[in-house]
Amino acid sequence: MKVEYVNPFIEATTSVMKQLLQLEPERGQLSARPECFTTQQVNIVFGVTGQIVGQVLFGMSIVTADKIASKMLGTTVVTFDQLAASAIGELGNMICGNSISVLADAGYRCDITPPTIVRGTNVRISTLDVPALVIPLKLAEMGAFEVNVSLKERLTAKAA
Amino acid sequence: MAKRILITDDALFMRVTLKNILTQNGYEVVGEASNGSESVQLYKQLKPDLVTMDITMPEMDGISALKEIRASDPSATVVMCTAMGQKNMVVEAIQAGAKDFIVKPFQPDRVLEAVNKALAA
Repeated sequence: MKVEYVNPFIEATTSVMKQLLQLEPERGQLSARPECFTTQQVNIVFGVTGQIVGQVLFGMSIVTADKIASKMLGTTVVTFDQLAASAIGELGNMICGNSISVLADAGYRCDITPPTIVRGTNVRISTLDVPALVIPLKLAEMGAFEVNVSLKERLTAKAA
Repeated sequence: MAKRILITDDALFMRVTLKNILTQNGYEVVGEASNGSESVQLYKQLKPDLVTMDITMPEMDGISALKEIRASDPSATVVMCTAMGQKNMVVEAIQAGAKDFIVKPFQPDRVLEAVNKALAA
């Protein structure tokens, strides 16, 4: 997978987190996985389609998800309900939307699906045989947040 | 009389956020749609002064909904509000008659500025 697909996600994650959560994520070591895979408790999954295809997954613990949702909603989330889940989904949507926009402006026309929220551990999500690049982030006292990017170029000519 | 607004977004969180911003600033939110086709239906039913429109949504996307609303009412005032800020998307929306294009994440002032301006035009 090309690194140029990943950079927009790193940049968008940082800028969205800064604006939405008022914190600067601390980036860990980039790693590769043979496919999209997660061991996190709460995951937001987006399909990408167009000149780039694949999926993007954001993973975190339930504690982190509660803290992020609390910050976004301006009120303490006690149970991870529909509103909290939609806040987390929207956070992912903003990161993904902003990243995809950068890729589109660079000539890769593509679109994303609405978010799917997956809860549970040891989940394997795979539709394509595309290796995933994983960006681990630390969101200060909110905990760990993982960005899993698994994208490849569709085998057609790039737009002019 | 307060201007009447229809909010369109598939995320409950975003509908709540937009509703708070708008109602706290003197607007009346008359309806909330969670996808494009619901928005088209509610538009015909409620005849709001302004519609906020997300793009990435299940069932019908916001660009298609914008086109349908403008086809049924060429004077409809629609402001896009989406995480997809790519140029071709902005151009397509403006060409289809959208009055403004807000990229998420946004500050409340950006929403108010867009809504005020769109309604003044």
